[in-house]
Amino acid sequence: MSEADDKNRYNLASRRKTFLGLDKEQALKGLFGGNALVSIVVLALITFFLFREGIGFFGQYRDSLKLYRSSGLEYVEIMNEQSAAFSGLTRYLNSIREDQTQLLKEQGLAFREIKKVQARDNDFFYGFEDLGYPLREYVLEKKELAIASRNAYEEMENLKVFRSNLLAEGRTEEAAAVSIVELDLSATVDQIRSGREEFLALNDTIEKELEALLAEAPTFEAASLNAKVERLGELTRMFIAEMEEYENRLLEWDSTQSIGMGRAFVLFLFGEKWVTNSSIQDWYGLWPLFSGSLLVAIIAMFLAVPLGIGAAIYVNQVAGPREQNFIKPYIEFISAIPSVVIGFFGIAVFGQFIRNASNWEALAWLDVFPLAERLNAFTAGCLLALMAVPTIFTLAEDAINNVPKAFKEASLAMGATRWQTTVRIIVPTSLSGIISAVLLGFGRVIGETMVVLLCAGNRIAIPDFTEGLGVFFEPVHTMTGIIAQELGEVVHGSIHYRALFMVGMALFIISLLINYVAQKIVIKYQISRG
Amino acid sequence: MSLVADKITLNRPKQSTDSMDSDSSEQARPLIRVSDFDFFYGDKQALFDVNMEMMENEVTAFIGPSGCGKSTLLRCINRMNDLVDVARIGRGTIEVSGANIYDPQVDTIELRKRVGMVFQKSNPFPKSIYENVVYGLRIQGINRKSTLDEAVERCLKGAALWEEVRDRLDTSGLSLSGGQQQRLCIARALAVEPDILLMDEPCSALDPVATAKVEELIHSLKDNYTIVIVTHNMQQAARVSDRTAFFYLGKLIEMGQTEQIFMSPNNEQTEAYISGRFG
Repeated sequence: MSEADDKNRYNLASRRKTFLGLDKEQALKGLFGGNALVSIVVLALITFFLFREGIGFFGQYRDSLKLYRSSGLEYVEIMNEQSAAFSGLTRYLNSIREDQTQLLKEQGLAFREIKKVQARDNDFFYGFEDLGYPLREYVLEKKELAIASRNAYEEMENLKVFRSNLLAEGRTEEAAAVSIVELDLSATVDQIRSGREEFLALNDTIEKELEALLAEAPTFEAASLNAKVERLGELTRMFIAEMEEYENRLLEWDSTQSIGMGRAFVLFLFGEKWVTNSSIQDWYGLWPLFSGSLLVAIIAMFLAVPLGIGAAIYVNQVAGPREQNFIKPYIEFISAIPSVVIGFFGIAVFGQFIRNASNWEALAWLDVFPLAERLNAFTAGCLLALMAVPTIFTLAEDAINNVPKAFKEASLAMGATRWQTTVRIIVPTSLSGIISAVLLGFGRVIGETMVVLLCAGNRIAIPDFTEGLGVFFEPVHTMTGIIAQELGEVVHGSIHYRALFMVGMALFIISLLINYVAQKIVIKYQISRG
Repeated sequence: MSLVADKITLNRPKQSTDSMDSDSSEQARPLIRVSDFDFFYGDKQALFDVNMEMMENEVTAFIGPSGCGKSTLLRCINRMNDLVDVARIGRGTIEVSGANIYDPQVDTIELRKRVGMVFQKSNPFPKSIYENVVYGLRIQGINRKSTLDEAVERCLKGAALWEEVRDRLDTSGLSLSGGQQQRLCIARALAVEPDILLMDEPCSALDPVATAKVEELIHSLKDNYTIVIVTHNMQQAARVSDRTAFFYLGKLIEMGQTEQIFMSPNNEQTEAYISGRFG
């Protein structure tokens, strides 16, 4: 053997082919690394985009609130509230008359005869109702004034922007042609406020007349009607007491008082109104949407958690291999159903079924039945539960499956039954995994859009929790639903547009928090297993 | 192969143990009797016609190469093999103090309370030391504090662990060292007061110091319990057991007094195995 051969045999230099300076291994590494990088970049872009579009909301919202105040609309709104409160009173008043009509009808009286009986109290009823008209007209007049001045102001602002845009483009001549009349909002405000004496006089009349009317309130034969009249008296006295409050608020109101960013923030996060395209003022309060989402999610979790975890325990601990092979794919298949199909099923079949069921005699003991609304939080919650079950089931089953077999064997070898082993060893050991499964299921539910949009009833209002069980059967709107419903129609860059982005941000943060907590729990779980 | 088969027939364990019994301790009474036992995993036969007896208050060691069926037989004694779906018995019986444990009337829960088990890999529950020991009592519905306290002390002392853990009973069982964990598992098995302890290679994952402690423990437990131990470690079998059974390919090749098996085995295969020539 020559020396050269010997040398060749121990030549350890790399003989791999390279392309662009990369060999095969490096190229593969680059490819897979690139894939991972793309997802991270996309997530970062989404976050950035949400922030960029959404964060401008607070500034715009503050400007809008400022204008609402400086144009005097806020002042008018206070008077309007009082007027609305009086309308509430007259509604109650009219309900007394309706009840009376109903009672008389049951006694067999004809329409004409009923009218005759009721004519006795016409002075009271009509007198009461008529008291509201001058007030309403007064408020309406002022409102129109304020709206007109606000609109003019907005017009002026738009023109200013238009002009500065022209200037920026260098079209100075055209810019000079844009004529802008400077508008002084405070003049309008003074005009509105100058009517204060008139308003106070109106209030005085109302107060006096109401007291006079109440003094000679009619009495009826039926005790139920008398009780209602008494209640009306109470409500009226409460209204009279509140009138002073409205007057004080009007007196303290100051059009120049500034509105901070914090106020806009608080009004968004805890605002109780979500009103858009209003002629007076748009309100963007998250609270009704958030509480709606939460209510639906709670209903869904209440149903999905026992079902998902129960099924996971059954499949992993009790079922034989044949049953397992049937149940597992079957449950996991549910997640393959498009959510719009589930929503469609909810409208066409399930919602109707719930309402029909609420008419059953057997369920009459539930005081919330029968239901008026076919589409409500409960309908949506049930369908969302169906969608959350596969998530919870799969993850919980994984967690249970991860319990070392040795624990189960040790427990059984000590004479524990299968049930005792499950309850005392398997479930406690996998508890953190199960909790994170529940949290991720919750994340799935709160982020679901189509089903709630179709089945939750879409009434923007905070659920009335004083209703007891009835709260679950109220129509609600959700954070996801409102985005899907309104984002297609808003003007790009408007407050409304940015408000929807802020709702999206809120959703994003909620989901992020849930995932974060779930992951923390899983990590803790891995440590505890040693 | 026929030669091997002949040898096995010649050395029917029953005969050998019978002959051994006559010249060993007279008060030894068989507590577990395996007769004509065939066992299958699906279509695969794991045990062939096993006949043997294990004496009360003695340590019986099962030795043999991996896959020879010794662990399978051990797990048949408290019916842990019931958990394996495809496992079934072909023929024969296992009796514990005269009662056939594969009788349909037998409640496996009751059987397992009488026949405790310690596993190859220490497997304390992810609970406190205290809760690990009292687990067997809690599942029987015993929750009285004084009874449980007493049992914890008795069992941990019995497992020679009391002095090491008495002041940290509330810490997790998983925080103990490997040897301590295995002794905790023994203490846990003792809590239900079994008559028989089955040990499936209890020291295979332990270092020599921990092994010595467990072996010492096995020795002291002999007075109150009947112990069956599966081991790969021939020295261990020689050290701790009174009788030794050698298995090969699912068959019981030879069984006898440990001294006799190690000093003068009757069977060539036994001799080859213990002298390290195969296995």
